[in-house]
Parts: sequence; C-alpha cells; structure tokens
Amino acid sequence: MGLFDYDARPATPQVQLVGDRSSAAAYALRDFLTRNGLPYDWQEVDGTGGTGDPADLPLCILPDGRRIARATVEQVAAGLGMISPPQLDVYDLVIVGAGPAGLGAAVYATSEGLTTAVIEGVAPGGQAGTTSLIENYLGFPTGISGGELATRAVSQARRFGAEILLARQLSAIAAESGGFRTELSDGSTMWSRAVLVASGVQWRRLDVEGIDDLLGGGVYYGAGPSEALGCRNSQVVIIGGGNSAGQAAVRFSRYAARVTLLVRGERLGASMSQYLIDTIAGIENVEVRTSTHVVGVEADGHLHHVVVASTDGTRESLAADRLFVCIGGTPRTDRTSAAGVAVDSTGYILTGSDLTAGADAVGRWPLSRDPLPLETSVPGLFAAGDVRHGSIKRCAAAIGEGAMAVALVHHHLAEDVRG
Amino acid sequence: MAEQTTPVALPDVGDSEFSRVASRERIAAVATALERNGIRAIVAADSAEARDTVHSLLADGAAVYNNTSRTLETIGVSEDIERSGRYQALRLRLYQMDREMQRDEMRTIAASPDYVVGSAHAVTDDGSLMIASASGSQLGPIVSGAAHVILVIGGQKIVADIPMGFRRIREYCFPLEDARARHAYGVPSGVNNVLIINRVLAPGRIAAIFVPERLGF
Repeated sequence: MGLFDYDARPATPQVQLVGDRSSAAAYALRDFLTRNGLPYDWQEVDGTGGTGDPADLPLCILPDGRRIARATVEQVAAGLGMISPPQLDVYDLVIVGAGPAGLGAAVYATSEGLTTAVIEGVAPGGQAGTTSLIENYLGFPTGISGGELATRAVSQARRFGAEILLARQLSAIAAESGGFRTELSDGSTMWSRAVLVASGVQWRRLDVEGIDDLLGGGVYYGAGPSEALGCRNSQVVIIGGGNSAGQAAVRFSRYAARVTLLVRGERLGASMSQYLIDTIAGIENVEVRTSTHVVGVEADGHLHHVVVASTDGTRESLAADRLFVCIGGTPRTDRTSAAGVAVDSTGYILTGSDLTAGADAVGRWPLSRDPLPLETSVPGLFAAGDVRHGSIKRCAAAIGEGAMAVALVHHHLAEDVRG
Repeated sequence: MAEQTTPVALPDVGDSEFSRVASRERIAAVATALERNGIRAIVAADSAEARDTVHSLLADGAAVYNNTSRTLETIGVSEDIERSGRYQALRLRLYQMDREMQRDEMRTIAASPDYVVGSAHAVTDDGSLMIASASGSQLGPIVSGAAHVILVIGGQKIVADIPMGFRRIREYCFPLEDARARHAYGVPSGVNNVLIINRVLAPGRIAAIFVPERLGF
C-alpha cells in the first residue's frame, strides 16, 4: 500500500490467480492479464494447490466468483467478456497485430473514415508494450511506459471507431473476389477490401539444453512485466543487447537484489540506445557482461543457476532465480505466408521495391504497375513495422509505417473503385 | 499488492447529531444553498435512485476515478464504475501499474480524470462542502483536476456551519476512517487535509446528490 488514494485496491473483487510458481500456464495467464492492463491477485502455492486440488491449477477465480480450473488464456479472456464477434460484414481494412504499427494504422485509418478492425492474439502494444519506460518517444519528455502508450493508443483508436478484437489469433488470410477473407482462431470470418500485416516479431528462442522445461519456471522470453514483483530481492539474469533487454534491466533493478545483463557482443552500443546505456551505467545493482553467452541452466524444478561462457573460453555458474531472454526476434509470418506473401530468407515480409529487385524477383509481383512502397507481393495486402523486411526496429518508426500504410491503402482502394 | 479484504470492525461512535439523517426539508434547503453557490444539487428519493443518477451523469467511455468511499461501495456505484464496462475505470488501471516504474504516470492519471466520483464528510446549512483526506490526493481532482465532480452524500452529513463540520470530521468520521485504514492498509488515517468548497466558479462542474439515508462515514 502506498501513500495515496490511487494506490488503494479497487472496491470490487479482482481476478484471483492461484498457481505453482514454476507453471508455464500460470505465467501465460499473468503475462496476458498484465499486458492487457487487467488487475489480478496472484497466489503462489508451490504445487500443493493450497486448500484445493493441485490438478486444478492454475485456478482462476473471476470477479463474479466463477472458478476456472486448469485455466487457459482463452478461457479467462472469454470469462472476462473480452471476446466479442466482428461487428461488420465487410471492413475497409483489417489490421493483423496491435503493436505500435497496427495501432498507429488503426488511429489514422479510422480518423480518415475507413472502417477498421484490428486482430490481436495476446495484448495491445506488441514488444514495445512490455517496456518499462520509453524515454525517446516524441512528445513525452520524461518518458512513457510501453503499457501506458498502448493503453492510450487503444483508447484513441476506439474513440475513432476502430474495432479491436483481442485474444484471438489469425488463422488464415486469403485473397478472394477482389478483397480478403480473414479467419480467426475463434472460428469467426471477416471480409475486407485491404489488409495490413503488422504482426511484429516474437522472441528468438535460446538454444540451450533444458531451457524449454523451465519456461515460466524461472525462464521467460521477453521483458516479463508481470514478473517484477516476484523478483524482489532475487538474482535476475537478462540476455540481450537491445533496448528491450536494457529496459528490462532498468525495471528489474528496482526489485531484484542484483541484475546481470549478458551481451554476446563486445559492447552495448551496437543495438541499444545511448540513453539506456547511460541509465544502466548509473544503476548500482546492474552488472553488464559483454562477450558472454549462456551455455547451460541448472534447476531443481525452478531455475537456480545459469552457466555462462566468455569468448576467452572461461565458464562460470551464476546464481539466477530468473532468466529473461530478450535476444531479438523472428517475424510472425507463419499464417500470412500461406496467403502467398513473399518473404526474405529469414522470414521477414518483402514489400515495395524489394519485391522487384534482385535476380530472384521474377514472377513475385503479379501486376503491370509497380508495387506501392509497403505493399506485399499480394496486391492490396500491406505490411508495416517489425515484421517487414528492412524496417527500423524502433517504436516511432513502426507507428510511422502504420500511418504511411493507411495512405497507401487509400491509394489501393481508390484504384479498386476505378477498376 | 493484495490488502486485507475481510470485514472491518468499526468503532461504536454511537447515535449522535452526526449520525442522524436530516429532515427532508433541511436537505431541500441545503440543496438550494448549494445551487446558490454554483454546485448542482440533486435530491434522490433513495440510494437506488442516487445510483441511477450517477449513472445518468457519467458519459459512456469517459475516464472515471472512484474515490475510496464507503458511500459509493454501499450503494453500488463503485461496482458500476469498476465492473460495468461502460467507462475507463481508472482505479483498475492504476491498481495494475508498476509502483516502481510508473509512479509519475499513476500520479497524472489520478490527478485529471474526466469524472471523479466521491463523497463529502460534511455539508453546511449555507451550502459549503467539507472533505477530509489523509494524503490529500483526493482533493486536487475535486478542486480543479477533474473535468466533472459527482459527490454522493448521505443525509446524516448536514451540519450547521464550518466549525460543526470540523467537529463532525474529527469526532465522528475520523475514528471510523482510522479503523478502516488500519484494517485495509495497516496504517492509521489522519485529518491531514481538509477541503472546504464555499463557492464554485464553474457552475455545475460539481454535482452533489443527496440521499435521505445514513450512508458512509
């Protein structure tokens, strides 16, 4: 409890989560609720189930008293009334992903009169939504947290009339009858005249033996905003040299006894903003280890050490209660590639002039006109943000691409009308 | 983050001039006095009608901050704000924020909502509102931070004048609020800040809904 009235808990009951501290399913729920801005109380029971049956864990008790045993994200989202069907038969624009690019596009599209729906599988904000404090985003001189930026963006998009369909994954996209048919994981189908893929990236997996068994049990991909309180007085290790890793180090330093940031490269400056490097340098309980990578984990059901190797060949076992892996991303294109969208060798979506450049470009682009700048190999289907080949991996750049994509969608729709 | 949620045992403050509901005539006279001072005054028939009135005054989609208030909890207004889905319930948003990293964001969000909904501790016969707060954080939005203010006030809170209002706060409200705070937060309360609103320069910005029942502290 803090000092002020706004620190007090709400008057009404909140979501209660009961689970084992090493449960990946329980972590998925905490992550989902935290990133969607939904308050909850977490009760850790270390496998005993408390007064209930351990087989029921994770157990979710909704504010209205309903109990969901072995709860999943989808069940909790439905129980909280987050799942609503699409409202229109046909949209001008369907946006896949509610990160900075998707939300930026939603605000611009709806403010310019396009009927727009956004599909989001986990939570608004994308990777930027999990960052603790973005200090170089224009207009916020003292910084803004990724979560708050996402909350404001969703509110702004909804105020203009955007429909944001949460907790649903994209199942398929197909070009049909001059438009697009989009299928969602809840079985619903949407039709639109254009599509923008802004599905971003997911964290690259760490190739270390035994690590998958510890997911949610001391090992986490991403900045883990739900885990801050649980890190009090603990040993935290973060892998990564980018801004996400830096932001995580700043956040966890407020809670943990010690934070160790492991960077494979020789210095932080290669991909981290200078302001973050300076901030980290001024935090006493953060240690940065360069030229280092993780080669093993030690656990007894829950992580307790990581084994690190340096480029000089030395190995060391570091005490670690929590390991956060923030080592760059792989594009989320598994569902969109089925629509025939051309991607580069690493899976990022090709757009604009990249479609027609190079020796292997023949046959990629089907029309006589050139592709528009953010247009993919499927006319009328655009891509923006981190998922796009050649994009700048910064929040403001993604938002800019989202806004730019809307202008291009207008161009496409006008062309569509002219036939 | 979890706090004590079991029922609080409140001290017996007895039956006094501060706990007795004023006559309907006196409430109507106070409502007229408040209107003279630029405060919109509505007299509800009962707590259910007061709840409906709050609902009718709040705009859908607005950012609404409900003060911690026994009155709002008792008549269901807190539940309407936090659970109906009609509003941006700021207290829920604040509750899940990171206390270490988002203090500034919490402060600014709580300071300037579209609506703040709360109560008062005393209302004088000549139309002044008195509100006490241990931290003072509730008072800024009421004075000027919030675009709109809605106060739901039980009929036992009417007092003759400002000195009597101070007596009501110290002798009646404080022991009850102190017990609640110690139970809920583990810390004592305090009459550290007292807001007196004699007149409002933006007529209608503050709405006071009177309920001819004993509600809250």
